[in-house]
Amino acid sequence: MIVLGIESSCDETSVAIITESQIKANLISSQDFHIEYGGVVPELSSRAHIQIITQLVRDTLKKSKLKLEDINLVCATAGPGLIGAVMVGYNFGKALAYSRQIPFIPVDHIEGHIFSGFLNEEKPQFPFLSLVVSGGHTLLLIVKSDLEIIKLGSTKDDAAGEAFDKIAKMLGLGYPGGPKIQEYAAKGNPDRFKFPIARLKNKYDFSFSGLKTAVYRFLTKNYSDIKLISNSDLSDIAASVQKSIVSALIEKVRLALKEHNIRALSLVGGVASNLNLRENLKEIAKNYEKQIVIPDFKLCSDNAAMIAYRGYKLYLNGKTFPLEYSCYPSLRSEMFV
Amino acid sequence: MKILNKKFDCIGKSELRIIAKELSAKIKQGYIIELIGGLGTGKTFFVKCICEYFKIKNVSSPSFNIFNQYNGKLNVFHFDFYRIKNKEELFNTGFYEHLSDDDAVKFIEWPNLIPEAIPVVNYRIYLDYCKEHKLKRNINIVCPE
Repeated sequence: MIVLGIESSCDETSVAIITESQIKANLISSQDFHIEYGGVVPELSSRAHIQIITQLVRDTLKKSKLKLEDINLVCATAGPGLIGAVMVGYNFGKALAYSRQIPFIPVDHIEGHIFSGFLNEEKPQFPFLSLVVSGGHTLLLIVKSDLEIIKLGSTKDDAAGEAFDKIAKMLGLGYPGGPKIQEYAAKGNPDRFKFPIARLKNKYDFSFSGLKTAVYRFLTKNYSDIKLISNSDLSDIAASVQKSIVSALIEKVRLALKEHNIRALSLVGGVASNLNLRENLKEIAKNYEKQIVIPDFKLCSDNAAMIAYRGYKLYLNGKTFPLEYSCYPSLRSEMFV
Repeated sequence: MKILNKKFDCIGKSELRIIAKELSAKIKQGYIIELIGGLGTGKTFFVKCICEYFKIKNVSSPSFNIFNQYNGKLNVFHFDFYRIKNKEELFNTGFYEHLSDDDAVKFIEWPNLIPEAIPVVNYRIYLDYCKEHKLKRNINIVCPE
């Protein structure tokens, strides 16, 4: 079966073609599109997606050496995301499927991330613990099967990726914040400064808003101007901040591994690109003798291959959706059993 | 308690919650409420406090998603201009279609980043750090006429 996936929930437009779990092509606007078209600045608008999507579908077919007639199933992100942006890819996909008279499957973006580990050569075994960390979401889940996801915890305020971005901005390190903090942190001492780790009523929930405030306080107390912070101090602050965020995440992972019957551990979402987090989780998996699956960097960021794969699995499980099924902006609580 | 057009200095979380409760009683369908204050001053926290009185429990930061939507006793749109570069981009996110929804309450964080984006505002909430106490905040709720 040949599956076409479309993702347009945020800054990136992406189109992919997969067969089973084999990726034929997985094009992402910011990474693959600018080369030919002289630069696409990520823009938070539906217009940007509209301008790109048709050509991106053509390019994906070309790269896969396939024709539109070869496609058997179309899947597109239905949410959560910036609704104007989601709608572009969603309606494009729906119209494409309708015109070809082939099935269309709406896919939840977060579910796309959760199952992205199955695009790896080594696939996670059920039940697995899934840590979803991105700019907009931070979730700790137990995935029991294709259709059973149990939520252990989520962020009560800012997402982990948002904490990286906003703190990077406070430090004057620029955008995107995650990679910048990681770069400075690599040269810094993570134990020089102590930043807080929030503990909440639900022991699996996360909170990063207090960290943001603590860093702000620390900076105004110790430096009259962020431009005057020495590079070595910047590196130590970045390393200490990264340690605080990563510790908050892995602390809950460790707890879940202790308290639940889990066979594997999977790290997904944009922040899964953070090397320190990857290393720490690998270490934990080793200590607890669990399988660990972390997708390649390209599959950690928003991409259509994960959407195609998730849609394909829903299709195999007999899921069908009426043509009127509409897209949505927020996380669906029905997603969890 | 008079909470409008009055500056409260160095108040803690429990007092902020009381102010949020008072304000929530004044908020009607269709209201547009701006929150102005730097990183970590508690804009999202204050929205969360107000929304608790609308029986909404899933308030989180919309900085990345640009806006969140919640349903409770009232429907709420929670916007954030933090990542928006200009008015044109804001327009292209579909912001104005939601802003004109008269059934929902609209909260907007970082409105000051896109000046003149919002024509009429019911309340403008200013939040700032209290210099003397790290956990306390200054708050001023202005009702522009």
